Amino acid sequence: MGLSVPAVAVLLVALLCLDPHGRVGSAPICAHGPSGCHVPSLADLFDRVIQHSARMHSLSNDLHSEFEQYFLPSKNHIGKTYRKCHTSNILTPNGKENAQKLAREELTEVILKLLMAWRDPLFQLHQSMAHQQDFNNFSSNKALEMGDMAHELRKGVEKVAEKMRVLGMLGNSVTGLSAAEAMLPLSDSREAMSDYELLYCFRRDSNKVQNYLKILKCRIVPEHDC
Amino acid sequence: MAAQKQRTERTAGKLVKFSLPVSDPSRGPHFTGCRSREQETFRCWWSAGIFQNLTEPGALRVFYRTKNALSEWQECPDYTHTVKNECYFNKTFTHIWTSYCIQLRSVRENITYDETCFTVENIVHPDPPIGLNWTLLNVSRSGLHFDILVRWAPPPSADVQTGWMSLVYQVQYRVRNASHWEMLDLESGTQQSIYGLHTDKEYEVRVRCKMSAFDNFGEFGDSILVHVAQIPSKESTFPMTLVLIFGVIGLVILLVLLIFSQQQRLMVIFLPPIPAPKIKGIDPELLKNGKLDQLNSLLSSQDMYKPDFYHEDPWVEFIQLDLDDPAEKNESSDTQHLLGLSRSGSSHVLNFKSDDDSGRASCYDPEIPNPEDLASLLPGHSGRGDNLPLVSRSSLSIPDLGVQQTSEVEETPIQTQPAVPSWVNMDFYAQVSDFTPAGGVVLSPGQLNSSPEKKKEEENEKKIQFQLVSDGAYTSENTARQLSAEVPPSPGPEQEYQTFPTQAVEGNLWNGEYLVSTSDSQIPYLLPEATPAPILPPVSDYTVVQEVDAQHSLLLNPPSSQPAICPHSPNKHLPAMPTMPMGYLTPDLLGNLTP
Repeated sequence: MGLSVPAVAVLLVALLCLDPHGRVGSAPICAHGPSGCHVPSLADLFDRVIQHSARMHSLSNDLHSEFEQYFLPSKNHIGKTYRKCHTSNILTPNGKENAQKLAREELTEVILKLLMAWRDPLFQLHQSMAHQQDFNNFSSNKALEMGDMAHELRKGVEKVAEKMRVLGMLGNSVTGLSAAEAMLPLSDSREAMSDYELLYCFRRDSNKVQNYLKILKCRIVPEHDC
Repeated sequence: MAAQKQRTERTAGKLVKFSLPVSDPSRGPHFTGCRSREQETFRCWWSAGIFQNLTEPGALRVFYRTKNALSEWQECPDYTHTVKNECYFNKTFTHIWTSYCIQLRSVRENITYDETCFTVENIVHPDPPIGLNWTLLNVSRSGLHFDILVRWAPPPSADVQTGWMSLVYQVQYRVRNASHWEMLDLESGTQQSIYGLHTDKEYEVRVRCKMSAFDNFGEFGDSILVHVAQIPSKESTFPMTLVLIFGVIGLVILLVLLIFSQQQRLMVIFLPPIPAPKIKGIDPELLKNGKLDQLNSLLSSQDMYKPDFYHEDPWVEFIQLDLDDPAEKNESSDTQHLLGLSRSGSSHVLNFKSDDDSGRASCYDPEIPNPEDLASLLPGHSGRGDNLPLVSRSSLSIPDLGVQQTSEVEETPIQTQPAVPSWVNMDFYAQVSDFTPAGGVVLSPGQLNSSPEKKKEEENEKKIQFQLVSDGAYTSENTARQLSAEVPPSPGPEQEYQTFPTQAVEGNLWNGEYLVSTSDSQIPYLLPEATPAPILPPVSDYTVVQEVDAQHSLLLNPPSSQPAICPHSPNKHLPAMPTMPMGYLTPDLLGNLTP
């Protein structure tokens, strides 16, 4: 045959275009519902979010320990200072029973409030840590990562809430996420908080978020022994 | 309650210190620790210390305060009755993520002996896991090692189902009664495998847990014992190894014997002898592939093996002809080239090719250069090419000579001829005008004052009053000038080099070599020559070789008017020379000349 390579290529393309069965099209992921592809269930979403929050908490714990190890070697200093975090105004359940007694919507709201309240302070923390010479790059990178994770976690929890609302698990009493933003507590002590205080507070709050998410999952997704 | 072991742990700045019941006796009343087992309740313990008068119950009281909106001190909600000096906070009074401060007071004296603060999640020490057991995974093929899988269950007090507490576990094992525990990595599941345990050894395994992202480990659970009996090894393996070892040894012995017996053959095979060259001194490859120059040098080097004739005939003079240096040869005359005179910096030396066997420089045996070369040196032939041959005189040091030239011609023709007046004015050939008894040759210079073109036309004879001394010696410039002053003034400073074996020379040596011993007899030859008028008689280009005397010196026939100066040799007589053009000798005539 005397056909040249370009001619063959043109033929092939023409065949592909003309033949409807040979056409390869792009379809949106999971556009056809559960039959099309695997849609993550609510349990899967919860698991992802919980894993994410666990990681965030672990990161905050590492940073806090580092800070304490290098800058505050003396023990028992906690007793001397009382830290009032800027999220102290948010009413959060202080125990397992309290959290279990709380309504799902409220619990979800609390979680979102907490995450929202930490958006700016984490950014500030990263900025101040990056500028200080005492912190090495590793620590300031951790702070940045922490901020990003908080942001992603908030997005994730919003998605979970959305899904719950779609599935009808959340009543309409939830006023919406915009209301959560409106209920940001104003703390006058925010300016006075040092890096260490921020780390301490975030460590505590990330633990709260993690536990609340676990409790929420246990209540929403029916599991054994929950 | 279980005995509390002394442990100091760093937890986020919290004081967590649990001492043995016999607490620090040197201190006064103080808290010995607070603990939470499940993050829902917690307890605190204290000790009276050295104040023994406060040991009765009720003497010391605990007050706490939460860092909430409430800021008033409250007393311990529950003093445990069964345990001494313990304060129990139940679920109602336990607030997670809340800072607590507790005080140890003596109400009677209204003294606060101790105070500490903490948050509950930082004092959580989970209970030990339960249900620790092990199963055998496999045993190694050798029967010496085995792997096990260890399983456990989380502590029942910890609520891991709801996720209130997320625990991580740590497994430790050791050989029984050893001092050092092997620690494995933290495991978030409830099982872990241990690899590489030795059979026939008894192992002890234990596990503990802590909350992830916190640092407080709980107590260890009960240890379990692991033991696997060693499976008796197969007996068949033993002879196998023996057979292998002996086989290898036998093989090695065989090889050694083989090598020693066939040593010669092996040597030939592995180390073949290098063939000697066939031709001594000549590489056959070079003969095939070598260039002409290399071959020439090679073959000429063969002459080194021949007896060196020329050492026996010291008077033989070589004139080598080199065909290079093409520049401005056309301008200079042939005589100049012959004498090897050079202008500033340029070394135009014309070399005659020497005949190896016929270069007899004497009166009788004329040194006959190749007629062709001679022809080429003629001015008429100067236009033949750009490459005028260079003449150099390479002679060997000879005691008594006819014509003696200095050696080192290649470099020193300049030096040999600087006394010759005016390079430009010298002809290619110089007429030998006289002989000294010592064998020196007195050459008469060509026309001194004329340009090369003129010289060709002129027939003026000039006399070059110099002798070329043997041994390659030079006179000093001073003496040369001195002597040149006596000589009819030839154009100027170029007439520097004149070899005169005078006494004056001796003191002015500058090359270390001595001149020919001064012989006064030479001087008379010079002086009469020096006296004549400044105008030098014209010297013809060529001179006829009359005869060769017994001493192998050339007897040249001066042209036309001049009488023959060659000493008369009684022994040899040349046949009468037919008239012929100046200086030309044809080969047949050459035959007439040779004695």
